Amino acid sequence: MTTDITRITPRAPRLPVSVLLAGLSLGFYIIIALSTGETAQLSPSGILGLFQRMVALGLVAIGQTFVILVGSIDLSVAALISAVAVLASHVMQGDPTMMLPAIVLCLGLCLMVGLINGALVAYGGINPLIATLGTGLVIQGVLAASFGMLQGAVAREFQVLAYGGLLGVPYSLVLLAALSLAAAFVLDRTLFGARIYAVGGNPDGARLAGIRTEQVILSAHVVASLFAGASGLYLAARLQSGTPWIGRDGIYDLESIAVTVIGGTILAGGKGGVAGTLAGVLLFASLDAGFNMLGIDAFLKQVLRGAIVIAAVAVHAVRTKGHVA
Amino acid sequence: MTVEPALAMTGIRKAFPGVRALDAVDFECLPGEVHAICGENGAGKSTLMKILGGSYRPDAGEIRLAGRAVHFTHPRQAAEAGIAIIHQELSLLPHRTVAENIFMGREIAKRGMLDKAAMRDRAAGLLARVGADVDPQTLVSSLSIAVQQLVEIAKALLLDARILVMDEPTAALDERDSRTLLNLVRILRGEGVSIVYISHRMPEVTAIADRITVLKDGRRIWTRRTGEAPVGEIVRAMVGRDLKDFYPAPPSSAPGPVLLAVEEGANAYMRDIAFEVRTGEIVGVAGLEDSGKAALAQALVGDAPLTSGTVFLRGQPLALRTPRQATAAGIGYLPGDRKGEGLALRQSVRDNALLALRAIAGLFTRPEHGRLAPDAIDEKLRAMDVRAADFGQEIGTLSGGNQQKAIIARWLAQESDVLVFVEPTRGIDIAAKAAIYETMRRFADLGRGIVVVSSDMPELIGIADRIVVMHRGRMAGTVPRGAQEEDVMHLALGTSGAPEKEESP
Repeated sequence: MTTDITRITPRAPRLPVSVLLAGLSLGFYIIIALSTGETAQLSPSGILGLFQRMVALGLVAIGQTFVILVGSIDLSVAALISAVAVLASHVMQGDPTMMLPAIVLCLGLCLMVGLINGALVAYGGINPLIATLGTGLVIQGVLAASFGMLQGAVAREFQVLAYGGLLGVPYSLVLLAALSLAAAFVLDRTLFGARIYAVGGNPDGARLAGIRTEQVILSAHVVASLFAGASGLYLAARLQSGTPWIGRDGIYDLESIAVTVIGGTILAGGKGGVAGTLAGVLLFASLDAGFNMLGIDAFLKQVLRGAIVIAAVAVHAVRTKGHVA
Repeated sequence: MTVEPALAMTGIRKAFPGVRALDAVDFECLPGEVHAICGENGAGKSTLMKILGGSYRPDAGEIRLAGRAVHFTHPRQAAEAGIAIIHQELSLLPHRTVAENIFMGREIAKRGMLDKAAMRDRAAGLLARVGADVDPQTLVSSLSIAVQQLVEIAKALLLDARILVMDEPTAALDERDSRTLLNLVRILRGEGVSIVYISHRMPEVTAIADRITVLKDGRRIWTRRTGEAPVGEIVRAMVGRDLKDFYPAPPSSAPGPVLLAVEEGANAYMRDIAFEVRTGEIVGVAGLEDSGKAALAQALVGDAPLTSGTVFLRGQPLALRTPRQATAAGIGYLPGDRKGEGLALRQSVRDNALLALRAIAGLFTRPEHGRLAPDAIDEKLRAMDVRAADFGQEIGTLSGGNQQKAIIARWLAQESDVLVFVEPTRGIDIAAKAAIYETMRRFADLGRGIVVVSSDMPELIGIADRIVVMHRGRMAGTVPRGAQEEDVMHLALGTSGAPEKEESP
């Protein structure tokens, strides 16, 4: 049968957001390095240094991408990062044989927090902003109150994660790359990934199609918490010992949301991915490095970052509008 | 000859707090049969289908599929038993591809890994079956509503559905796309699929259905073969009374002076727009989905303004660049998407009726005084015969007809001279439709002008004094009251005069 209702408007091919954003970020970095004469920053080790700036935020942001894709959000990651860093250093007490137990314990804590967040949001029906803000406050409070008893330092061998490397490539970068690829694979090629997009894109439709939407939301929260845990472990390795404020001082909660959104994942859920998020992280890393080279004041840096977040999201809004019309 | 029905529902009862939604309803559908269900909103059609689809459980009664009794506790079980329901609101993921949508929740996967190539191939096959010439990799957001509807059907076919429920499938489609959809229904019937067809559009029902069942107030009135059920009978059974004068009588006096005029109007969606509305006149606007008829309405209310040309109101040129300017000038808008654009669903009936007045009122206007007083607005709502227990109740709890009347009351309070209606009775049941037509006529008779944009051809012919037909962004022609549906269709399709050749791509 012939149908004349099936005309498709051809769309001009567009560069993916991630490529565009990564290109812009690197371009900015290179121009600043050249114009300030800091050409050492363009050497292989300088570029690796730039990438290493991405690790802590990158890990949290990948997890955040999962929850945002499913239509939720996680504000508790900053507190969880601090908790993991403190717990890791306390359990290890500089003893390399305690490395594995510490890691297991930390990831166990993350699993628990993820399950609680997920249960509150998916089964309790509590708005994710409020639910995760609440769990974050609880974690932060417990941590601040008991920090006196939780002193310690990670084992020197554990610090290899932050300072060691393979053929000149830091282990932390290898970790970020591996986990990024794994996350992208899960989202793009697996059943779980397809369900995440379905639930985020249309929760009612997904439920009617027989998807157990609660389980998907819960799992996404667990993923987010585990990635926050990975980030906390990395920070503990870098700083030798955790404090209850490293997560909060790094603004990992809000910045992980910002880079996810800059990367093209929409807050309503159902659209986006890891590649965009990583490009957003690269943008932040390049800005930081560039501002350092320029010697810009820390507070002004914050102002510029804020402005860039708004500009990036505005560009998305315009792009999407143009696409719809 | 006795054929085992593909679907037999017997003695279905369902009660909600305070309402008996279904009272011992029997319904059956044979293999390869199109069985239409007609009834006003609230007659129990949706409840019956939700029970069939596993969303609700019946209080009593039995469902048999090909003779086998089934009990569904989750929509998934119904789907696996071969029942597919295409809902009025589409359930597609706009940012995902057609293939990903067709396989939502039923992805082909091995040990958790998706087999994308296999899904693309199956999707392409299903799309070909429903006659949609779309690449499975296309994003759904780039498809028209009509094609999205076809994707929904392809989704149903994936499960090899033996029973397909279509709930107002043509509500969002124009005449041409509706015909394509009805053809597809015929093809599926030929393949032995049982189709339960719910629609408010009578011509469609009589054209497509083999049998018709009428529900009213949760009871089955009768089931008849289509040949034995003239439209008049169906309508009488649905409303329980005759609807001889379904459409109001034409006005006795000729229309007055020109109220609103557009000259050489154009924007990205249309060109060469020149038309006028006189006082006391109802002007219909017809056209296919992408003809520019919706764009014309949006231009008149300043939502998507004209980029060139002039609009005159009572002979004075009018700046019409924002909805606020339109409201202030006395042009009121009744959008087709009532819930999305017309109402603040969580606010009261009264608040909704006050929306335009409050929008225009100065910042320091005393609230609840003068025209903003509750008594004043309640009077307008009563004049519009809005039925609510209390005008303080959330408007989302009212029926579509009452919601539409409350929006009319909003513009009545604003003393608008021109009302622009888009799809004024979409999703509104027949009795309420008649009341809305009556109101529109009364509004026009008071010396105001009305523009009605609609895809419902009998509605336009019944209500409008004049119909402007749009085709590809231009005005293809104007037909007077009393025209035939054919005349309008020819103009809309661009087939009037010499038959136009299909343009080569």
